[in-house]
Amino acid sequence: MPTIIFVAADGTTREVAAATDQSIMEVALGAGVPGIVAECNGAAACATCHCYFDPAYVGHIGEAGEHENEMLDFTASERTADSRLSCQVRIVAAMEGMTVRVPSAQ
Amino acid sequence: MASAAPVITDVSYTDLLEDPYPVFKRVRDTAPAVFVAAANLTLVTRFDDIMSIERDPATYSSDNPASLVNKVMGPTFMRKDGAAHATGRKAIEPSFRPGTIKEHWAPKFTEICERLIGALREAGEADLFSALAAPMASLSLMEMIGFKAMPWQTLAEWSQSLIDGAGNYARDAEIDRKAMEAGAGIDAAIEAVLDHHRANPNPSILSSMVHADPPMPIEEMRANIKVIIGGGLNEPRDAILTLTLGLLENSAQKESVLARPELWPTAFEEAIRWISPIGMYPRRVTRPVDLAGVALPEGVQIGLCVGAANRDDRRFTEPDRFDMFRPKQSHLAFGAGAHFCAGTWVSRQTVGRIVVPMLFERLSNLRLRDDAPPVIRGWVFRGPVSLPVRWDA
Ligand code: HEM
Repeated sequence: MPTIIFVAADGTTREVAAATDQSIMEVALGAGVPGIVAECNGAAACATCHCYFDPAYVGHIGEAGEHENEMLDFTASERTADSRLSCQVRIVAAMEGMTVRVPSAQ
Repeated sequence: MASAAPVITDVSYTDLLEDPYPVFKRVRDTAPAVFVAAANLTLVTRFDDIMSIERDPATYSSDNPASLVNKVMGPTFMRKDGAAHATGRKAIEPSFRPGTIKEHWAPKFTEICERLIGALREAGEADLFSALAAPMASLSLMEMIGFKAMPWQTLAEWSQSLIDGAGNYARDAEIDRKAMEAGAGIDAAIEAVLDHHRANPNPSILSSMVHADPPMPIEEMRANIKVIIGGGLNEPRDAILTLTLGLLENSAQKESVLARPELWPTAFEEAIRWISPIGMYPRRVTRPVDLAGVALPEGVQIGLCVGAANRDDRRFTEPDRFDMFRPKQSHLAFGAGAHFCAGTWVSRQTVGRIVVPMLFERLSNLRLRDDAPPVIRGWVFRGPVSLPVRWDA
């Protein structure tokens, strides 16, 4: 159960112990982390679970697939090099202590 | 203790067709789930309940062997769950990607729209249903599917016949016959272009289907194309008219969006929240379950009324008003969960960025007619069926 640290747009943080068979989006929804909407519930179709990920963990996070990559161009908050759809990022044990920044708008 | 769903018997089907919103409000204020006799269905109308249902597809299934959709259209991923759904959905995905929409479909749809608006400009008045919205939705869907050019009326008739057939619970023979006839026409139209798409990969939906890995079996292609014709024509058509109506009835908001075109996407989302083109879609309960205090038995059919949820005053203040400046909140017009509308991005682009902006830009002083008010109808599908307007030709 790695601990993921969600950082809201206003800077408040929330630590959540995450099971490794879930996506970051599922963990956030389960814990009631504000700012993640996830309209399509993980189908990578709505771009409302956009988050910024800590680049130090990129080896564990993986790369965006082709479809996700295009969806990321349509996020409500600015896309950066750290942007991913959190429904497409699976939790692994090595994510212990990873921060995930939640944007101000979805 | 959960109690059984209350029953409403004093509402007629005509009430629902003409103006479902008072009924929706009554149901919403009565209980999380209410059996409405006129609809012969248990209706769910609160925003949060629909959201939680859509996050639990094992309990609330899209699969229903008894559904007329399966009978009229064939085995479609839209009425399946889990892996069977995901495979079909993934097969069509390349045609619906935001990048493909922007680079490939948007220029084509812009051309169609320029042609339609160009043709009516001199007239000075028109009913936007038949003069713009219906042909626009039909011709763009035709392109997207990858059919040979045909009159827009043909695809529109097929679409209506399939919808009528899928809702024909009274088993009217003439409605059944027309749905079968439409089905045969669609199968033939697919057959006519399949070799071409096989030999020439392109962004169309039929091409995505034949080049998917694994390729989609022909029976599934036929069924899924029928679902896309039945469910991809009305909604953009109705959204075009609803957005136009919302702005014509609210001139301050119209002036704002014309002065600041970056507001078009917001105006579009508000329009489909206000009058959602799909007002209701079904789910089947797979085990006895307690929905926010109402006991739902196994096997019961429920109707998720997103048109009601989008006017839930627990979430939206003054929900009956068209107000693009209300606080930004997600809505349910495109559904939620695994079946979240595949056409979301193409509709946002077509309706909110191409058609309605061009309409207001090219037809100056566009206005409603006092002598011929708009007519809005429907509850499963809802939108203006007539929108007579005038402009300065
Ligand atoms: C404003 C326009 C539109 C609205 C409001 C809308 C709404 C919806 C809704 C509510 C659903 C969920 C239905 C259910 O779960 O039973 C849906 C599904 C779907 N829509 Fe749309 N739609 C629109 C436009 C389109 C267009 C233009 C297309 C195709 C060209 C399309 C294709 C689909 C497909 C294929 C599904 C099934 C997705 C699945 O089961 O995974 N839609 N739509």
